[in-house]
Formats: sequence, C-alpha cells, structure tokens
Amino acid sequence: MSLCQNRLQEERKQWRKDHPFGFYAKPQKNAQGVLDLKVWECGIPGKEKTIWEGGLFKLIVTFPDEYPTKPPKCKFVPPLFHPNVYPSGTVCLSILNEEEAWKPAITIKQILLGVQDLLDDPNPESPAQAEAYNMYKKDRAQYERRIRQIVRENQAP
Amino acid sequence: MADAAMQQQLPLPTSLAEVEALIRALYQPNPPETIARIQEVLQRLQRSPEGWQLAQSLIAHREDNIRFYAALTLIIKLNRDSAGLSDDDASSLLENIIGWTIQALADGAGNFVVKKLCTALVTYFVHFPQLWPNCLRHFVDCLDLGRGTPPAGLAKPLSTEALVSKLDRPKLRLAIWLATTLVEEVGKTDMNAPKFAPLHERLVKNGPDVVYLLARGFSPPADNPGIKTQGDALTCFQAWILYAQRASHVPDLVASLRQLVEPAINCFADDDLFQPTAELFSDALSNYSSFFTPEHYATLAALFESGWAAAHYQRLLRGSHEEDGIGFGLLLLAYGDAKVQDLMRSPDPRSQQFLEKLSGLLAADGFLVGEDAIFVPALEFWSTFIETMIDSTYSDEEGAQGWKPFAEQHLKMVVMSAWRKIRWPPPDVFASWDSAERVAFGDARKDVADMLQSVFTLEGISLVAFFADLFLQALGAQSWTELEASAFCLGALADCVSDDAKYDLELSKIFSSPFFDLLGQAPGAIPLRLRQTGLGLIERYREYFERHAEYLPNALNLLFAAVGDPVLGGPAARSISTLCSSCRSILTSEASAFIQHYRTIRGSQVLDSLAEERIVLAIASIVQAINDEDQRLNMFESLYGLLKKDFELAVQLQGQPGLLNLQQPDFLRGLDASNPQAAAPTAENVSVNIALRSMRCLASMAKGMQDAKEHPVDLDSEPPALDPNGRLAALQTDILRVLIEIQRVFHASGEVVEIICNIFRAGFSETLPGPFVFPPGAVTEYFVQQRFETARIGTLLSTACSFVGSLYRGPKVYVRPQLERLLPWAVSILQALPAPDADTEISVNGINFVDKVASKHLDILFQPQNSSLLEFFFLFSIKVLDGKDPLPKFASAEFWANFLSLKPSSVDPSSPAFSMGDTLANAMTHLGPLVARSLVRNLGGHAARSEIDKLCEPLKRLIVTRPEAQEWLRAALLDDACLLPGAPERVSADERVAFLRKIVALRGARTTNQIVREFWMACRGAQFAYVS
Repeated sequence: MSLCQNRLQEERKQWRKDHPFGFYAKPQKNAQGVLDLKVWECGIPGKEKTIWEGGLFKLIVTFPDEYPTKPPKCKFVPPLFHPNVYPSGTVCLSILNEEEAWKPAITIKQILLGVQDLLDDPNPESPAQAEAYNMYKKDRAQYERRIRQIVRENQAP
Repeated sequence: MADAAMQQQLPLPTSLAEVEALIRALYQPNPPETIARIQEVLQRLQRSPEGWQLAQSLIAHREDNIRFYAALTLIIKLNRDSAGLSDDDASSLLENIIGWTIQALADGAGNFVVKKLCTALVTYFVHFPQLWPNCLRHFVDCLDLGRGTPPAGLAKPLSTEALVSKLDRPKLRLAIWLATTLVEEVGKTDMNAPKFAPLHERLVKNGPDVVYLLARGFSPPADNPGIKTQGDALTCFQAWILYAQRASHVPDLVASLRQLVEPAINCFADDDLFQPTAELFSDALSNYSSFFTPEHYATLAALFESGWAAAHYQRLLRGSHEEDGIGFGLLLLAYGDAKVQDLMRSPDPRSQQFLEKLSGLLAADGFLVGEDAIFVPALEFWSTFIETMIDSTYSDEEGAQGWKPFAEQHLKMVVMSAWRKIRWPPPDVFASWDSAERVAFGDARKDVADMLQSVFTLEGISLVAFFADLFLQALGAQSWTELEASAFCLGALADCVSDDAKYDLELSKIFSSPFFDLLGQAPGAIPLRLRQTGLGLIERYREYFERHAEYLPNALNLLFAAVGDPVLGGPAARSISTLCSSCRSILTSEASAFIQHYRTIRGSQVLDSLAEERIVLAIASIVQAINDEDQRLNMFESLYGLLKKDFELAVQLQGQPGLLNLQQPDFLRGLDASNPQAAAPTAENVSVNIALRSMRCLASMAKGMQDAKEHPVDLDSEPPALDPNGRLAALQTDILRVLIEIQRVFHASGEVVEIICNIFRAGFSETLPGPFVFPPGAVTEYFVQQRFETARIGTLLSTACSFVGSLYRGPKVYVRPQLERLLPWAVSILQALPAPDADTEISVNGINFVDKVASKHLDILFQPQNSSLLEFFFLFSIKVLDGKDPLPKFASAEFWANFLSLKPSSVDPSSPAFSMGDTLANAMTHLGPLVARSLVRNLGGHAARSEIDKLCEPLKRLIVTRPEAQEWLRAALLDDACLLPGAPERVSADERVAFLRKIVALRGARTTNQIVREFWMACRGAQFAYVS
C-alpha cells in the first residue's frame, strides 16, 4: 500500500479512537460502497461560547497522492461566509499551505481543530473572499448577525 | 515588571545551611510569588560554576527533598556544562553518580530520589555515550560490587546473565528503572539526526542485557515475595517495544525483545498485574502487531480459550465496567484487530469461536455508553471487519470466497446486537446522564448507522427486509423503543436504498403500515423520540415518495401538523421543504391546500422564522411546477399576497411608531426570536424585523420558483418578448416596487440589500420566464439608482457581476444596452471611493465588473464618452496593483492578465470592437510602462510571497503579447526606486538584466513563476544568492 494510503488508514484508526467533541470525519464511499480514503466528509462544530456555537459545517477534505508530503485541501460545502474561505469554499489556512506551515506530522484532528479555531478567529492578513472580509473589518455587528443567521441555517442535530 | 522583579531578587545564599533552608521552603506551601523567587535564586545557584559542588555536597543528605534537588542539579549541570568536562573528569563523574545512586538505594532514600538519579545517569549517557559503553552491564556490575567503578575497568569474565542473577530484588528493580529511563529519555532525541546516531546505536546494543534483566524481573521472586519486580519489568518492556517500533529497523533488538513475550504473558496470571499486562498487549497488538510471532499469537489464542479467560469474559459482559474496567475486552479486540484478515478467512473452530466472543462484546449488560463502555470499541472492530470483508469481496476471485458464509454469520449477530443497543433508555434515565454521556450515546448511534451502511454493501435487500420485519413486529407489539430503533436503522439505510425502486416492496410495508396513523395522533400518544425518528424517516425517503405519490399527502400532513412543535418544528419544516421540492410535480394539485394550511398556521401562531422560510420555499416549489400559467400565477399571487401584507405593515409601522401593539399577532412576527428576552422592543426594531422576516420569505419564494429541471438551451433563438401589459410583467413590476420601497424605508439596513441581491440572483440563473426573472432593463434601472452611500454597495456590485454573467448566457439583444448603462455606473462607484484601498469589496467587484465587460465588449469600454472613466479606471487598477490589500490586488492582476490577452479578433466580430486594434494599441503605449513598473515593484520585493503566482500571470501575458514589454520591464528593473529598499544592493543591475533575459526567453512558460520567485527572494535578501 502506498505511503498515502497507509497514513490515511492510520489517521482513520486514530480518529476513531479519539476525536474531539461534536466533530465527525469519515472517508466517503464510492458507488460500490467501498471507502475512498482520499476524500473525507467532515463536520466542524462551532466552538462553544462563540457566535458559531450550535452550528455544524460540512467540510470535504481531499488528500493528494503526495499526502502527507503535501497537505490536503479543505473545502466547505456549500461555501461558507468567512473572511478566510474562498468563494469556492476552499479554506485558506497556513497549516494547509505547503509553502507555509504544513508539516507531514499534522493530523486530521489538528487540521479540523485548526479550521474550527479559524471560524471565530479569522486571519485578516490572508483574506480569501471580499464580502465576509469587508464586513468583518467594517461592520462587526452586521457580521455577527450574519454569522448567527448562518448558524441557524446549519444547526447541529 | 522586570525591574520590580529584579529588585525583589533574593541574594545568593552564602552557606550550605541557607541553601537547604531554601530547598525546604520550596517544597512547602507558599504563595506563588515566594516560590517563584526561591526558584529563581536556586536556579541561579545551579547554573553557577559552583553547581557541581553544590550537588555533590547535598547528594548524601538524609532528607529526600534535598537529595532530589541535588540530583536535579546534576541533570541541569550535565545539560548545560558537559562540554566543559574533560574525558577523565567525565569518567570520574560517572563513577560518582553511580556510587551515589547505589548509596541512595542502600540508605532507603525515596523512590523518587533514586529514579531522579537514574535520570541523571541517562543524561550522562546522552552526553557521553562513547564513555559509557555497555552501560547496563556496567551498572549491574557496580550494583553487584555495591559501589561505582570506572567504566573502562569492566572486564569481568562473568556474563551479564550471571551478574544479574546475583542481584537482590531491590538492586534488580533499580537496574530495571535505569533500563526504563534509558530507553525513554534516549527515545526523546531525534532518531534521524546524525548528531544522535551514535547514541541510538549504543542504546540498541544494550538489547541483550535488557533481556537478561527483564527475564529475571519477570520471574516471581523466590528470595523476597514482598518485593515484586514484574510490574516494573512490564513498564520497562513496554518502553523498549515502543522504542523498537519507532526505530523501525532494529532487527537484533526486536529479536531480543521477542524472547520476553512469553514471560510477560505469564503476568496475566497475577491479578495485581492483570491491568498493566493487558494494557501492554493491547497497545502492542494495535500499534505494532508485527512484533509478535505466530507462536506468540498461538499462545495468546490458547490463553483466550482458558477458564481464566472465560471468567474474565463473563465479568466483562455481566459485571460493572466502571468498577472492573474493560481491559480484557480491549485486549480481545486488539488481538482481533491485529489478526482481522486471518480471522475473517479461517473457518476453523478456534477462529470462529473467537469471533463469536468479539460479537458477544456488543451484547454486554447496561446502557450505552455510561454503563456499557465496551460496545463502542467493539463496534469499531466490527466496522473494520466489515470493511475488510468489502475490500476482499471486490479483490478476491469468485472461487476464493469460501470464507464469506462464515463471516456473514457473525454479521447477523452484530447487526442484531447493535439494534438492541441503540434503543433509547427511559426518559428519566436519560435525564440523569451528564451532557458528555448524552453526546456519546448519540455518537454511538451514528457509528451504528455507519456500520449498517457498510453491511448493506454486502447484504443488500436482506438487511432492509430484516429491519422492516423488526419494525412491523415492534409496531404490532407497541414496543416503542424497539420501533424507534428499527425506524432509526431504516433511516440509516435511506441513502443506500431510497433512489432505487427495487427496494420499494419492503419500504411499502413500512409506509403503508398504521405507523403513520400513530404519528398523527395527539402529542403524548407515543414518545417524542419515536415521533422525531418517524418524521425524519419521511424526509430521508423522499425519493420513495416521489415514486409513491399515494402516500405523500398523508406524510406531508403529518409534517405540517408538527411544524408548530418547539422540538419537531425545525426538522419538520426542513422535511417539508425537501419533500415538496423533490416531489413538486406530483403535488401541484395540493398547492392551494398548502397555502391555506400556511395561512392557518400563520394566523394561529408565530412560527420560527427559519421554519417559515422553509415552508414558503416548499410551497413555492410546488407552485413552480404547475403547468398552466394562469393557475400558476394565481397560486403565486395568493402566497405572495400573504407576504405583501407584512411589508405593508412594516412600512406603516416605521412611519407611525404609535401603531405598535404587541397584543396583535401580526406585530409579534417582528420580535427578535433569537433574543426573546430583549427589553421592550421599539417600533423601529419590530418594523425592521417584520420586513426582514418577510424579505427572507420572499427570497425563499424566489428560490422555490427556480426551475428544478434542466432544459435544452437554444443559443440562437430569441425568447418570446415580454408583454409589458401581461400579468407576469405586472407582477414583476409590483415585486420590484416592493423591493425598492422596502429598501427606501429601511435604507440603513444592509440585510435588506443583501436579501434583495439574493432575490435577483435567484432569477439570474433561470432560463424560462418567471416572477423573479425580471426584464434586464428593469434590473439595470435598479442598479443605476444605487449610490456609493447605499448600504452594502459592494455586494450590489458583485450582484451586478452575476447579472452580466446571466446576460451573456441569455439573448444577445439585451446585452449591449445594459452594459452601456451599467459600466459608467460601476466605475462611478469606484470613483466615489476616498482611496483605492478604502473598501475591499467595492474595489474587487468594481474591477471584476469591468473585467467582465472587457472580456466580451471591449468596444463599450472604449466608447468615446467613456474615455475619462476609462482613464480613471486604468489608473485606479494600477494603484490597486501597487497597494497592499491582497484581494483587490488579485482582482487587478487578473484584470490585467485578461486585458492583455484580449485581441480585437477575440471579441464578438459583430461588435464595433472588431475594428479597434489601433485604439487598444494606443492605450497600451501609455499603460504598458505603468503596468510593467507596478509588476516589477511587486516582484522586486514589495509583494507578499503568497501573491507571486497571481502576479506572474499579467507578467507572462505582457511578455507574450507586447513586443515592447522587454523595454518597459528593463526600464523599471534598472530604476532602483522601483525595487524594495535594499534590493538594489543585493541584486546588481547585471543580475536584473539576466533575470529579464530569462523570463523573456521563457515566453510565458510555467517555469516563469519559479524564476520570478527566485528573483523576489533575492530582492528580499532571504539568504539567497541569485544565480544568473
């Protein structure tokens, strides 16, 4: 089995053993019901005591063949209103960038926790969409109302 | 702060007695500041050159704390100052520390002191591995002699085994401690760093000595039964196994360690040692299964068949997990995990019986997860087992699947036990759980759902039939928890079976059963959980209802009845919207009844606003599917009419705050549902909330009215012209009028604008006429009325971009007139910006807008009346390219990349742009040097690293499309002021010219980015010599 597959098997095992509260992460199944380890469907809950609390946001994590040398791509489906999420839904986060802070030792758990942290703590240095970035900078009250609305539409069951 | 701390610093002690007093004080209860101050002075002392002496003076002290502190000082000195020791000094230091350690043991010093001295010895080994070869053997020899000896003097003929056999139990235990600390501490250093390679080499050479040591450690002490060493031996063994696993290529060490597996297994027999032994084997089996040989596995398998194992197993199933733990169960599962392939493929009785034991783990006593802790780990194993079965089913040859019937037998047990386990406890039991237990219960149910989906891959329809039978049995017996569990399991399979009619026979048994009569009964007739799961089942099987319209009205009635319920309302509304949206065409005859239903609900209570939006969306999607236009518009108007009343009320209330009357239900719709405790709501708040709520409903209508079907698009044919007097046109005019009015009255609300944009967008994607597919001229008219001051103007600009996209997809005749009006408007918004970086959203969308226009209608851009606008825009975009705001910068880079690629011939040949090559060339003569300069400025160090790739695009286009580009770029590159300050010194003029030659020669090839990146790094001076 390739390095990528081995590592993903191991990630799966570790995730099953121990994963943070309210999250889910599982490889997608293909048409025959066989797992495709390189595409995971994940759920990121909003952190407690933040405006994101109560929401659950679906994230598709796609692993390249070169994983873990190269980082996976994380994409919110549907795209999320957030300063660091591209209009396509792709998350802009230093630990997911090969040229920045990605390290092969970073686990799926760390990635998902990192994305959860990012929700309430956007990084104004690397904006990815103009709308959320602008509102975050210029009208925080409206930004927060908008987030609350989004959380209502994406309630955790 | 720092100054104050300095002032409060304690003076260095002047006598040993003072030091002792300080150490004593350190371990006594004291305020944190005092402790910090003591610690600080002691650390200064430790680090001083006198530290060695201090340690030596205190190491034989009778007080444990002081002795411990002395050992700690040794470690600190070794870590800080070992480089200053000569080999001779170092050797005698080792002799001393060994001596002190043995002395501490003899004196009866506390274990923590002796262990700290072991750490000091290991610290020594880490710094001087070459001076302490065979460290374990040497230490054992010293123990035997009762004193430290020079390591070089070790030349005894006695084997380590013989030496070890002479040690008494306390000494043996000390040696085991050292062996444990040794592997743990050395394991913390980087195995791949060349610096530590000799260290790891020497450590591994101790392997055989560890085996002698532990072999005796594992044997029960005959000399002194009071001192058992097996526990310490287990800890040590586990540490060495972990190291061997991490080191990954140490065959000799692994071979040595394997000799210890049998003695370690014997530890199971001792009740006191059961827990650590089980932990060791569970850990090694799950993380390092290749460590064990087939003989080891056979020994373990035999052990699991013993009476001892049977007793443990029974306790696990019937006893208390909280008191006894689940160590034995985890051990079985770890073994199963390690051997899953073999177990699955072996029909022999031993394997089959073992698998039976593992499936039995799913049937322990007690509720999930608080009482039954073994279910979730056991389910994990079975999920792996099932996935292995699926993989093998696809990879094995047909003939080689003799194992399958055996494996499937176990699945039956697994499924049955899981179904039993997920039953809800009685409400009072559930209420007594803490939140973590409740969440864990829900998570365990989700795990079961996942597992069932995997089983379905193997078993298909028989699994559906199995649960359908359980469902009907439970229904007949009115066993609510069983019924709920069956409905839950069927729900879990919905994704697998819902869209395939071949399962309908089974599903119809459920959906035609009296179950749904039960759901419709008054609250309380059946448990809430059951109602919840039952209603959820309807949504999950929406595709089934599409095929079986006969059951649909009943299902929807049930859902509507639940809409007002505080718990069920949200999910019910969501179910209604998904169900109506997918089954719209078979529900058209119900539209009127549903609208009536909605009207009634509205009249009697204030729904959650999100639930209301979903219901409106549901009804609108049914309306959309009505074929007859008149009928469709009738229904539309009747739904729209309800919302319109709210708009009127909101506007009225805004004008006359005195109208507010919270006794009247219509006004209650304007209370902030997310903040019901808010102090007395003002009329202004209520009116804006009513408006927003209805606006959102209107946006839901627009979404519902979107066509769900794909239509063939004939690009050449023109759609029928809209009849301005027609009914649809009148309706559109009315909706637009309402939108504009609401925006006018609530002009401060950004949300209103946002929703208007959503409503427009819903229409843009449509290909057929509809109430929200507004005439392009009306949309344009709306946009050009918006000013820079309008709330959310940036979002409006972005919506205008979408509008242009939709125009391009539609009939050509509409395009030009709209663009001719919109372009000056969009640029005027940019002109109103106080500075190019004043508003990211406006800059980005304004640039995108012009980009979109330019891509297809360059001539409109270059119309004479636009010349001053255009000049402004070009300079604006270059300023933005020079700026720091990344998103506008990217938009501008993209604009220039696209613009530079434009050839008059790539534009619609019917447009006047076709003959405007000269105009374009003219413009570029002025703009080219400016763009080149801006790009050089960025790539010469000003841009951020993450921006480089995006900035390379216009650069490449510039080089490919403009012959003069080389000159423009050269001029900029040779102008020192253009580069990052400091860059001209780092990158000489010759190097810059060499860079230019390279990128020009590449003619826009992908490798340009790499060359540019190197140039940028050279300009930044990131320790990089630019090689020309």
